[in-house]
Amino acid sequence: MAAFDYPQALEIRGALARHGVRYLFIGKAGAILLGFPDTTQDADLFVDRSAENGRALAAALRELGFVLTEDHARDLERGKDFVQLKNGPFDVDIVFAPDGIERFEDAWQRRVEVEGFPVCHIDDIIASKAAANRVKDQESLPRLRSFREYWLRQRRT
Amino acid sequence: MKGVPDERPRSLPPEEGSPLQWWDEFEAAARRSLETRLRYSFIRTYKPVLDDATYRAFDSMESYRRWCEQSLPDWLGYGRV
Repeated sequence: MAAFDYPQALEIRGALARHGVRYLFIGKAGAILLGFPDTTQDADLFVDRSAENGRALAAALRELGFVLTEDHARDLERGKDFVQLKNGPFDVDIVFAPDGIERFEDAWQRRVEVEGFPVCHIDDIIASKAAANRVKDQESLPRLRSFREYWLRQRRT
Repeated sequence: MKGVPDERPRSLPPEEGSPLQWWDEFEAAARRSLETRLRYSFIRTYKPVLDDATYRAFDSMESYRRWCEQSLPDWLGYGRV
């Protein structure tokens, strides 16, 4: 499978918009969209948990080429906390309940639009990684926090 | 060079305590288009176990974290600190 790339990013943005999915890029993929220079393998999407949004997400993913069984679609509709998809044109992690963020609506209010991509605010990305507290998060947090300072100052200028 | 202050011009003064190299990387990334940033950032590497199934779903983040700790090699870094 090829790595996630710009044309695929445009495709996912278009498909999710056509189906009216409420979502945000989160994790390192979100930080990269904000300008953070680092590497990752998959796109992490924080999706608003509702049956309607889950159905719309399943339809959009099928349109993008993901192979979803009826059981898979039901998982998305039910909003299981974490769904990992490696059965499409790129890898994507669907997160309905990221660590460190209470409600989707709060993150939505703080979101940043980057060329039409809805992205979690850097503070939410950092909060989520800090709460997950994995070894790989602890390794990346100092640089992410430094980037936060850069990003906030750049936005002010 | 060690001991020589780095006085390269930057659009923003580096945050105190932040390694200058990071700040330079942030500045360089800010000059790139989104398309280029994505091309540089998303790489495909095989992760044992993690990449060996095409679909997984977890009822809770706790069960996902537990599965990572029990199933993935430590060196992938998915274990909690």
